[in-house]
Amino acid sequence: MLQILIQGLMLSGLYALIAVGFTLIFSVGRVLNLGYGAYLLVGGYVFFWVSQQMGAPKLIGVATAVAVGAAFGLAKHRLIVKPLKGQTVPVEIATLILAVVTQAAIVLIFGDSAKILHSIVPGVWRSGSISVSYSILAATIVSWLVFIGLWLFVTRTHAGRAMQAVSMDMKGAAISGVSPDRINMLTWGISGGLGALAGVFFASYTQLAPGMWVGPLIIAVAVVIVGGIGSIWGTLIVAHVIGFLEVISTSLIAPELRGVFTMVLIIAVLIISPKGLFGREELH
Amino acid sequence: MTAILELDRMVKRFGGLTATNEFSAAVEQGESLGLIGPNGAGKTTIFSLIMGDHRLTEGAIRLKGQAVQDMAVHERIKCGVARTYQVPRPFSEMSVAENIRVGLTPDSLMDMIFRRPDPSRELALAESVGFEAADLDRLPAELSMGDLRKLELARTLATGAEVVLLDEVFAGLTVGEIAQVSALINEKRAEGVTFVIVSHDLKALEPLIDRAVGMVQGTKVIEGAYGDVMADETLRAAYLGT
Amino acid sequence: MSHLVTWRQAAVWAAFIIGMLLLPEMVSKGTLRTVIMACYLAIFAMSWDFLSGRTGYISFGHPFLIGIGAYATAILNVRFDVSPWVSIPSAVVITMIASTLFILPALRIRGSYFALVTLAFMELMYQLVQVIRPDLTGGTRGMSGLEGLTRGAVQGFYWAFVWMAVVAFFLWLLTRTRLGAAQAAIGMDEGAVSGSGLNTVKLKLFTFVVSAAVAGLGGALYAHYIGSVAPRALFDINFVFTIIVAALIGGAGTIWGPMMGAFFLTFLLEYLRPWLPGAERYLIYGGVALLLYMYQPKGLTEIFAKLRAGVAR
Repeated sequence: MLQILIQGLMLSGLYALIAVGFTLIFSVGRVLNLGYGAYLLVGGYVFFWVSQQMGAPKLIGVATAVAVGAAFGLAKHRLIVKPLKGQTVPVEIATLILAVVTQAAIVLIFGDSAKILHSIVPGVWRSGSISVSYSILAATIVSWLVFIGLWLFVTRTHAGRAMQAVSMDMKGAAISGVSPDRINMLTWGISGGLGALAGVFFASYTQLAPGMWVGPLIIAVAVVIVGGIGSIWGTLIVAHVIGFLEVISTSLIAPELRGVFTMVLIIAVLIISPKGLFGREELH
Repeated sequence: MTAILELDRMVKRFGGLTATNEFSAAVEQGESLGLIGPNGAGKTTIFSLIMGDHRLTEGAIRLKGQAVQDMAVHERIKCGVARTYQVPRPFSEMSVAENIRVGLTPDSLMDMIFRRPDPSRELALAESVGFEAADLDRLPAELSMGDLRKLELARTLATGAEVVLLDEVFAGLTVGEIAQVSALINEKRAEGVTFVIVSHDLKALEPLIDRAVGMVQGTKVIEGAYGDVMADETLRAAYLGT
Repeated sequence: MSHLVTWRQAAVWAAFIIGMLLLPEMVSKGTLRTVIMACYLAIFAMSWDFLSGRTGYISFGHPFLIGIGAYATAILNVRFDVSPWVSIPSAVVITMIASTLFILPALRIRGSYFALVTLAFMELMYQLVQVIRPDLTGGTRGMSGLEGLTRGAVQGFYWAFVWMAVVAFFLWLLTRTRLGAAQAAIGMDEGAVSGSGLNTVKLKLFTFVVSAAVAGLGGALYAHYIGSVAPRALFDINFVFTIIVAALIGGAGTIWGPMMGAFFLTFLLEYLRPWLPGAERYLIYGGVALLLYMYQPKGLTEIFAKLRAGVAR
């Protein structure tokens, strides 16, 4: 029981970390970044290259990964989102294509086979029958820190409040002197950095492979569908719902059913409320 | 005297915001009613509620005596009501004729597949709003704002609407175009079409309506002849206050 | 629209069909196999385009429909010894029914949410076929030993080509009707379509089911051609990518486009093989697709049209 609780918390923390960058773009830019998984891919491999192949300290590896992810996000905004004028469908398709291109580039550089990432924080914490690796513990703590940081950023800083304004109304924000374009760029950068960070932890949780971007994308998608265009806290809550659902179903029902319940949850929520549990009805 | 369109204590809330508050009105067959109020008074919301673009929170809407508030948009249109939009919404990659054709299309998959469109009716409708045969192949991008309003009116009439809701029908039109569209509306009134009209251009609106309803913040404040409505203190205060 | 096609269009089509029918005489068996793959991809791309290219409802999970068709015929044929002549039509019907069940809840949702749900459906199918009744579906490894319908490349080519042509013709006929116009109108402004008195839910459901029927047919035929089905080969995002890119590169919202895109892509991949044997091909492939999409979203058909206009001038 305790094992389930702890595992659930850990997995949910990881999922929340994965989803937050994706939700951010969806609520501010109103487009789905289907290439979001590519950030995780880039983050994981940059970390692998810097820390494991070059032998730099892990913290530097993580920092580089985040920086590259953010740069990737900014580049994507500049080269894809802006030229397509933020139109939903073209951006979704273009980002999906970009994700496949990124995957191919990774294969070209690092090869096709999966790589084992050394634990970010080595060691396992044991107590009786319960064991938790420090890596995933670190992921959970980082995830919580990210959420607190993001919340403070959005509510306390000028840029963060502007971001909120843009997420509610593009035109209104433009009138009140906030440049939606700048805010969008900022959001894409932050989202890229967060995605890369999630990628480092996700890769150390599973393994590093060129195809590893799809799974997290689906998780992020699930969180957005179930949560709707919600608040930061909505994302956190839904990530926990999904994380616990998965842990409970794998340990109590059948391990093969891992993702099935998540998908069923998505479909059920959509039948009940097409805009997600925390989505808002919009005024025209 | 039976009302063709009856709005019975309509209420619409968006979350905590009440956009329409106990709004009632009735329109007679063949009548033309003006809906007057300052920006944000909720005039367009009334249209959206009548058409079913938004769902009513409370109250009832009756068309020829039949309650329609639970119907889908296309079912209400079958009952004989249709609207135009504040910003015209033509199908951008379709010609004038094709736009009208969509309005004429029967709501049956079999008919859509197996029955041919009727170009003569398309032409007749286009001409009835003042287009010429040569205009049929033009695309919306080539049309002036006045032409777009005419096109939308034609598409609306193509659905067989007896009650037509016109939203800001004069916005963006030149003086000449206003006269043209006004003449068109008067012609349709003479043919027995019922109108509810929203317009900021009160000077253009006045000669087109039989009666007016004044509204402020989602609530009806006065109803009567145009002059009486415009003399109303609450409405005047609301206009000046914003 | 008094006449359906101009004489010139008819001539182009006739030339194309005759050329294709003579193809086995002119090219090698290897090339013919590439053409077969292109034909199947064209069927998938046309199915996607009929739904997404026309109505603007983007399906990011189209393989889930293709996969249902492929799995349905595989299970009937391999596990129950049903003849392909029965199992393939059954697979089409099963795909249509399954798609209806899946899509009914999704019809209320629009835009990006729709795209997300289709993606989720594909992932759900991927998980389900491995878990539920692995004795039927073959679990993670899938199934092999589907009865082939044709022998050799020449027969295989005629079979694939005829089906592609039939699908193209059928979809083309549909798009020429007022139904086609209404579908295109949904892609431009759905609110204005219901404002014109049409039941958009019914229209979308019909479009989706037709698209599913084509996808199921293509999936079933394809499964019998390659003789096996496997979860990761079907319910895969790279597969989605290939289909969407084929339709977009060719030109969405047309019948020519997805076919041309499918052939272009299949041959591009084939010719890149000697230099880039591995998955790196996707780098070039994706790069070309991205550039083309960014700068000419209407695809090759538009480029050809412009070239022709240029030559005419």
